[in-house]
Amino acid sequence: MLPAKAKEKLAQLLGPRGYLDRPEDLILYEYDGSVDKARPDIVVFPRTTEDVVAIVRIAREFGVPIVGRGAGTGLSGGSIARAGGITVAFSRMNRILEIDLENERAVVQPGVVNLDVTLAVDGSGYFYAPDPSSQRACTIGGNVSENAGGPHTLAYGVTTNHVLGLEVVLPDGTVYTTGGKELDLPGYDLTGLLTGSEGTMVLVTKVTVRLMRKPELVKTILAIYDSDDDAGRTVAEITARAITPVAVEMLDGVMLKMVEQATHAGYPLDAAAVLLIELEGIREVVEEQVEQIREAAQSCGAREVRLAKSAEERELLWKGRKNAFGAIGRVSPTYYVQDGVVPRTKIVPTLRFIGEVSKKYGLIISNIFHAGDGNMHPIILFDTRKAGDLEKTIAAGEEILQYCIDAGGSITGEHGVGMEKNEMMGHLFSAETLDMMRRFKELFDPDNRMNPGKVLPTGKGCLEIRQPALGPGAATY
Amino acid sequence: MEKSSQVTLQPSPVLPRNPQELADALAAAATRNRTIALAGASSKHLMAGPVEPADVSLSTAAMTRVLQYEPRDLTISVEAGMRYADLDRLVAQNRQMIPLDPPFSETATVGGILASNTSGPRRRLYGTARDLVIGMKFATLEGKLVQSGGTVVKNVAGLDMGKIMIGSFGTLAAIAVVNFKLIPRPAAEASFLLPFDGLDQAIAARNRILKGQTPPIAIDLLNPLSSAQLGYKGHLLALRLAGNTVAIERCRRELAARDALVLEGKEEARFWKQVQEYTPHFLEKFSQGAVVRASCTLAQLKEVMSSFETAAIARAGSGICYAYFTRADAAVRWLTSATGRDWKAIIEFAPDDQRDRLDLWPAPGAELEMMKKIKQMFDPNGLLNRGRLFRHI
Repeated sequence: MLPAKAKEKLAQLLGPRGYLDRPEDLILYEYDGSVDKARPDIVVFPRTTEDVVAIVRIAREFGVPIVGRGAGTGLSGGSIARAGGITVAFSRMNRILEIDLENERAVVQPGVVNLDVTLAVDGSGYFYAPDPSSQRACTIGGNVSENAGGPHTLAYGVTTNHVLGLEVVLPDGTVYTTGGKELDLPGYDLTGLLTGSEGTMVLVTKVTVRLMRKPELVKTILAIYDSDDDAGRTVAEITARAITPVAVEMLDGVMLKMVEQATHAGYPLDAAAVLLIELEGIREVVEEQVEQIREAAQSCGAREVRLAKSAEERELLWKGRKNAFGAIGRVSPTYYVQDGVVPRTKIVPTLRFIGEVSKKYGLIISNIFHAGDGNMHPIILFDTRKAGDLEKTIAAGEEILQYCIDAGGSITGEHGVGMEKNEMMGHLFSAETLDMMRRFKELFDPDNRMNPGKVLPTGKGCLEIRQPALGPGAATY
Repeated sequence: MEKSSQVTLQPSPVLPRNPQELADALAAAATRNRTIALAGASSKHLMAGPVEPADVSLSTAAMTRVLQYEPRDLTISVEAGMRYADLDRLVAQNRQMIPLDPPFSETATVGGILASNTSGPRRRLYGTARDLVIGMKFATLEGKLVQSGGTVVKNVAGLDMGKIMIGSFGTLAAIAVVNFKLIPRPAAEASFLLPFDGLDQAIAARNRILKGQTPPIAIDLLNPLSSAQLGYKGHLLALRLAGNTVAIERCRRELAARDALVLEGKEEARFWKQVQEYTPHFLEKFSQGAVVRASCTLAQLKEVMSSFETAAIARAGSGICYAYFTRADAAVRWLTSATGRDWKAIIEFAPDDQRDRLDLWPAPGAELEMMKKIKQMFDPNGLLNRGRLFRHI
């Protein structure tokens, strides 16, 4: 419970429209895009860095946890107030402070929506590269916290490769500026350390990002397969032939049906899998690579290789891909998305293993993922109303992640650890490594009030934590 | 290469043969409160701050194994003491690359390149170690091996601690294992050298090229004094392009004006090697010389470059300028005026007999306080590479 005095101080600071604390309002802030939920005691809406500092000082005075929140689209429970306390919602710190095309930079507040950065420079020939599927809603602050990825990170890298400077507020209220518009500043790379720290060390109040030149030509290819093995083999073949697409996405048959029914993007309904491949760059190179991709796909048994003929056709294919999670909601009341990564050469056996897990548990598992970098997104469809479905889902998910670990991969490629996979961190990292992460957190947040219960194992078993949070009606999509 | 007195002041190095031995050696020294001088091949011993004379000297130079390399995964894992040149040749066999282009590239170790965050011309497109490293193991003074990241190209599991090691000059822990992502070598490459009489025209050309449709993988700007060293005249804008032969042909038509020099094959490789190794060559020639590095915006680059009365080379598409002063006091004078103009600059290399009294990093900013706390966490007694981080840490 938030002490009454703390609430009073926050209300005084932010005014009656600067916070929410009625249960019916708080309900909207108890979940994100993942399956867990927990309710904060109060949600506050700062407008400035000074507001954030004042909020953090009040939280410190009363020993209250702080959880930062962007748009709440996260997929690992990163913005869920697991221990209650103050949720700092950045939706009103949503100004683009500076567009500096001459220096290929933009400076934005954390609540700016990802896609709005690119839209703000529309027509100038520049864009902001990281493109999470939720980019129409998710915020730059959330992207920085989770080190978000997206389909095109295959070529352009994830958020950390595009964030050059931060303004951050520590839990004791001190403000630091790290990095800047310039590159290679001497000293420790605090910007790199804090990007992806999942809100467990600081709150981010300003972000300097890199803008990139748009490529001259973009070509989008849809390769259609009667077997998902063949699609998986094509990914390896693309690497072997040294072709460098900017995105290689795979959708399996189950997913194709769901996506096509929802979006009518032109995906085949009878295929076992498709690859959505994008090539960008200098015209002559892209044109040659289109042919190379065609050959690679056909040599691996593609039934058909289609080239998007217009920008509209291309956008529709991507719309289908990026809205896929929404499409699942039409078919299954609840689903659970995994984010494991395997080396590229292990994609085919991993898909086979996921198929076996699906059979073993009697659950439909559909795959839609960033095949080019081995970032799997098996989606387990389940029904919370069916007894035992939930337990089976959790067990199946963990088996798949364990397989990814054993294959030399990771439990998360872009969604973050959050409160979803923190208990699995011990399978991936040694005690020494986890202890070092814990010490970094303690250095910034000695009282453990920044997003507590995330990233690092809490020592409790997974089921104990997840089961109540996954109760009937918990997940609504 | 000239040996520095500072290096010879350190005891002869202990050479651990694997990550565990490295961790054990650090712990053995730290538990007895011995100060430690840590290095790879010591190729950059004149860079940044001198390590104060230490009780124990440690080198990763005997840790040279390739731990994992599956070319079809486009990843590789190597021990930190592996020479970059050996690594580069190994992956080149599969037409792959780690395009860091560091100076001292024949002798430098992978760990040393990361610790000093050195890079070169192709960073415009491919970035630095910050972008190419996907995982790391480092050994702490407590004798522990800590993992950051892994061997897959996309991974956000846990804190990205590897980032803090890049550019830390071995002041926190010892980099033991490095995992890189690999990039396929382009099918065709060519470089164009565009000479200009004035800096204004060179910058105007750079601006056009940066906004153009054929983005170079490297855009370096040599001022007349540095271009003369390489046998050219005037302000020289050097562009490196990659793609296929048709694309290169088009780039030649669009980017290479009539007076441009087109370099291909061995000639091209030789030119870029000279640019990449400009600093080592300069230091060999001028034992009293100092190298300044200034980080600036693309817009500031012209002003920064025009402020140098010495040889200078800029990564003109990234905003990094290197200036070569034959005497360290001239570098200090420049740095004082630069700091007054709010430019972010350091003395990157200085003569060994002067480094211990020069202000190598005059304006570190408030975040130095946070950096010192991180140092304190790793090394509470200040044992490891004391003074190496530009004499501030």
